[in-house]
Amino acid sequence: MISITGLRKNFQSGDHAVAALQGIDLEVQRGEFFVLLGPSGSGKTTLLRSVAGLEKPDAGEISLNGKIVFSTSRRIAEPPEAREIGMVFQSYAIWPHLTVAENIGLVLTHGRSRLSKADAQARIRHALNLVQLDDFENRPARLLSGGQQQRVALARALAVNPALLLMDEPLSNLDARLREEVRTNIKKLATRLGITALYVTHDQVEAMVLADRIAVMAHGEILQIGNPFELYRSPSNSQIAEFFGSINWLHGKVLADGRVDTEIGPLVIAAPRQYEGNVVVGIRPEDVKLVAPSAEVENRLAGNVATSFFLGDHCMSEVKIGATVINFKSLPDDAKTAGAVTVHLPPHRIVVFPDTESKQSLQPK
Amino acid sequence: MGAGLKVKGRWLFVAISVASLLPVLAFLLIIFWMGFWQGSPGDPVVYTLKHYRALFTDGSTYRTLLNTLGFASTTVLIALFFAVPMAWLVERTDLPGKNLIFALATIGALVPTFFTSMGWVFLLHPRIGIVNKFLMELFSLEQAPFNIASLTGMGWVEGLGLSSIAFIMIVATYRSMDPALEEAARVHGLGILRTLRYVTLPLTFPGIIAASIYIFTIGLSAFEVPAIIGMSNKIFTFSTFIFYKIQPQEELPSYGMAGAVSSLLVVLALLLSWGYFRTLKFSHRYAVVTGKGYRPRLVELGRRGWFLAWLFLGSYFTVAKLLPFLLLIWASLLRYFQPPSLAALEQVSLKNFYGLPWNLLFQGAWNTVLLMVTVPTLTLIVCLAISWTVLRSGLKWRVTFDAVAFLPHAVPHLILAIAAVFASLFLLRDVVSLYGSLAILIIVYTISRISFATRIINNSLAQIHPELEEAAFVGGLPLWQVMRKILLPLLRPALVYAWLWMALLCFRELTMASVLVTSQANVTLPMIVWGLWLGGSLNQAAAANLVVLAFMLPAVILYLYFGRRSRFTEVS
Repeated sequence: MISITGLRKNFQSGDHAVAALQGIDLEVQRGEFFVLLGPSGSGKTTLLRSVAGLEKPDAGEISLNGKIVFSTSRRIAEPPEAREIGMVFQSYAIWPHLTVAENIGLVLTHGRSRLSKADAQARIRHALNLVQLDDFENRPARLLSGGQQQRVALARALAVNPALLLMDEPLSNLDARLREEVRTNIKKLATRLGITALYVTHDQVEAMVLADRIAVMAHGEILQIGNPFELYRSPSNSQIAEFFGSINWLHGKVLADGRVDTEIGPLVIAAPRQYEGNVVVGIRPEDVKLVAPSAEVENRLAGNVATSFFLGDHCMSEVKIGATVINFKSLPDDAKTAGAVTVHLPPHRIVVFPDTESKQSLQPK
Repeated sequence: MGAGLKVKGRWLFVAISVASLLPVLAFLLIIFWMGFWQGSPGDPVVYTLKHYRALFTDGSTYRTLLNTLGFASTTVLIALFFAVPMAWLVERTDLPGKNLIFALATIGALVPTFFTSMGWVFLLHPRIGIVNKFLMELFSLEQAPFNIASLTGMGWVEGLGLSSIAFIMIVATYRSMDPALEEAARVHGLGILRTLRYVTLPLTFPGIIAASIYIFTIGLSAFEVPAIIGMSNKIFTFSTFIFYKIQPQEELPSYGMAGAVSSLLVVLALLLSWGYFRTLKFSHRYAVVTGKGYRPRLVELGRRGWFLAWLFLGSYFTVAKLLPFLLLIWASLLRYFQPPSLAALEQVSLKNFYGLPWNLLFQGAWNTVLLMVTVPTLTLIVCLAISWTVLRSGLKWRVTFDAVAFLPHAVPHLILAIAAVFASLFLLRDVVSLYGSLAILIIVYTISRISFATRIINNSLAQIHPELEEAAFVGGLPLWQVMRKILLPLLRPALVYAWLWMALLCFRELTMASVLVTSQANVTLPMIVWGLWLGGSLNQAAAANLVVLAFMLPAVILYLYFGRRSRFTEVS
């Protein structure tokens, strides 16, 4: 559906060039909900805008629906209006001088399809019905709330029956509660209509809820592509592991028998041995288990609970093992909020990466 | 800051504001009062309504009204014709050389209109204009094809002069618009032209209307073009009509008639200003601050498009600024004006420059420099006090201060000057002798710039959080120290920009000078040029004009270096 190869783009910022896209290769299947996830400045929006034709890359090729719309080698650069897309903007871009119906009608009667007024009317009704705004046709657009504008923007993008739906952080201007509701609605609508979507966000929860597959981006590169489960459980590096939720890191050294010698003692690792020398091992707080002091399990460690926070649906505690602090998450009823405990770090839940000094964080600074 | 906060020393600030704003109200009252005077000042006062009757019944007054409307409308059309495409090219296309366009537009706004007006007379005057002479010879015409001494001609010159300001205003409209609004049209299938027609133009329309009203208001009271081109050909607009009533050549001055026309003009200008703000407010409803760092997708013009665009821009700059300038140089080198030819070339000399009244010029230059230094400084001091009173004093009447501070923008400057002359001649004569002094120029120039400077300082002050000052007050600093140590350093970029811009405006000011300058003691450079022109020494006036421009050049360079950077840095 979307096929991108070798896409590059530099921005001139003052007197030095900033690489926004450093050779992106990407395939999106028909009917797939694909999310570009990354912190600001990662190049995700530039990539989306290049697909839309709103940004002109310096090199590479983009084809949509089997048709090449951009190619530096073939000197093709189709304008946005020639690409079969619908798009939802971060600011919604609802035309304030028109009514809700006119906002949708304009793209139907003067856009790619040039429908008659009557045909357009039916499509407007249908599109507004999809986003549950049936009675809003004659409402002036500037009188709409943020959430309603967002829905009109979605209706407008769907009304043109696009081969591909592009969305640029469409939920970032909504308040937290509404965001969850709209997120679910978009997911249901996308599944029902079977549309192909390319969706940009910096919010990993949003990405995990919506995506069939996610591409994690940083510094103009794709770090990893996978479904949400793969990214959470098998991150390809420590930054991605951190990006998808909190994790405990321990520094260590790979021993001859494959175990890793860390600050809290040698740990058994289930993952195949990939690295030698200095490594970091990571384990997520919810994977740390409390066990009986006599339990027959690997990686069993004795420690003391230092602090504990009750957060309603779970407890977050810090356990001190020697001088090292490990965070662990437990259900409120099982929680131990003080005293001596024994924790178990399941070997198959431990991830290992080489210990690079300059660990670049994916989190925005 | 709550109204309860008693800041030490705030009454000084309020007092300065009151002292500087009271004359504005006094000037307005004087103008309205003047309109009911039967005789000349000095005669026993008799009140009458005859001037107001004459305003609408007398043929020549009525014609003046029509002239003014025609002149101002032409001005708007000409200014928009150049400004709108120029703003679109700069803001929405990939045209190269945008910094150059901004620099040229800024310089364009600074070139005095009396300067270009003279150039246009040499170009298109029916008797001496070289384009007319050339065309008449080429096609053996009986009559000159163009006549600059007409409403259309004058509107053309004024419109070209104001196109720079219109351009800067319309660029601001484009910038306040979310570029995603246009992109949304493009991605859903509307081409460049349809996007322009259905999205860009409707959305920028309120902004363009607001700019039109603004330009129209300036046109209504514009003085320089009608004075240079119209007056000697007996085509009067409001401003020259008023001037003529105050300083007639054959009859006695009629302050009453001038007062009546001025009152009408003031009311019109206030109504238009109200309309301007209404429209502007409407256009702000469309403005969206996206906070997104990206520039909108630029329309690719291609090489042919670049060529055509630069052809348009190049012709505009040539016609609007360069051509009048070249004509002035040519005229300054000749004793009698004639089209370029071999015979004319032999007569070229610097005699006009030698023959200039150099003593007067140096006196004028000295006065002008004094004005350039004192007026902006005084204005900034006064306006800091006003802005602080409006935004920070917590005073009950602070909104009124802001409204009065805006009046000098709406009220034509010529009328401010006439009120000042009237006051100095007939009300304050026995108290203080201001008539014919440099002091009266300083006072009126300062009052006329209060609106501009308070707008700039208000904008900057509003962005400084009051807690920054409150922290200092809590620490025990008195107000003047807070001003010196906290506000002034934070406001500095805005103050530097405003100071330089006002200094340049002082240099080119002819309108207010035309009634305020009455002696050699307070003569300014533009007045000397105008004096030569009115006296019929066109070629000498041209030479003097070039000398004045040469004096102005260092100030312009300073402005471009220090002032412009803070305004247009975002353009790349």
